[in-house]
Amino acid sequence: MEYLVWLEATGLSTWLRESVSLLAFPLVLVLHTVGMGFVAGTNAAIDLRILGVASGVPLKPMERFFPVMWTAFAVNAVSGVLLLTAYPAKALTNPLFYLKLLLIGLAVGTARLLRQRVFRDPDLDHGLVSKRGRVLAGVSLLLWAAVITAGRFLAYTYTYLRAEDMLAGK
Amino acid sequence: MEHALVVWLRHTAVSSLVTGSPWVWPVLETLHFVGLSLLIGTIGAFDLRLLGMAKGLPPKPLSRLIPWGVAGFALNVVTGVLFFVGEPANYVNNIAFYCKMAFVALAGINVLVFYLTVARRVDELGPGDDAPWGAKLVAATSLLLWIGIMAAGRLLTFYHDHGLGQI
Repeated sequence: MEYLVWLEATGLSTWLRESVSLLAFPLVLVLHTVGMGFVAGTNAAIDLRILGVASGVPLKPMERFFPVMWTAFAVNAVSGVLLLTAYPAKALTNPLFYLKLLLIGLAVGTARLLRQRVFRDPDLDHGLVSKRGRVLAGVSLLLWAAVITAGRFLAYTYTYLRAEDMLAGK
Repeated sequence: MEHALVVWLRHTAVSSLVTGSPWVWPVLETLHFVGLSLLIGTIGAFDLRLLGMAKGLPPKPLSRLIPWGVAGFALNVVTGVLFFVGEPANYVNNIAFYCKMAFVALAGINVLVFYLTVARRVDELGPGDDAPWGAKLVAATSLLLWIGIMAAGRLLTFYHDHGLGQI
């Protein structure tokens, strides 16, 4: 618990939490939301195409959208760490936060598998994607929806907002 | 003095439903975020293609993904209206809310401009073809507006009590 108190007392954490500037906590939240839209959305577009929506679209060139996804993912990793720095006890004392991290790991793993199994398939664009590829796309859609759900519910399920609340036994 | 619209909306059954259980609001927010992701993923991909990314994609078949973005938008209109009816006081006096609605209106006009001007030429583009500059302008405007809409939406909560004054 000491490290939560320490982290919360650092200059960065205090500034993010207490600054009235829109460039502090609000900007970090905006970045995390816009990043989410591009990460989950780009994944969803690729998944939907693999599942047969807009089947006239050649799949191979869609691979070019993976960098969009990874760039947005990097934005969300950084903004996520900053949100965690601002309120470390809020997330780290909530089991849902660890579930969200697990779901992100699974979703990212699925995106990598999709790229290896579907986009590296020499038969790509010569008919339907393999059943395995379509199952992966369906799993990917569900996982990103679950990540969004877990993230949103973090704001409603925490026990302690501040590490100092834990110390006070509140 | 409370706004008459706020008072009236707060007495509706829908408003009570939205605020009656602590879990309705987070579920609606989750749906709102899923809707925005569908919108950004499909319409954003189309915009990026027009701007020159993944040029191997022919725009016409790619536009078949857009109905999913429109479905996401419809989901967000429904959940958005429920937020407004649930807690009208958070919105009627909120500058970020009015910015967001203005951006949504501009995004609608932008779609209209697209269909009235360059849509037909975009439909004829094949793999590798460069989009006309007018289409690029519309695509860049679309991306900027949707990002602005997300930003204003996320900033709403910081402006609950700061606004344009009574309306």
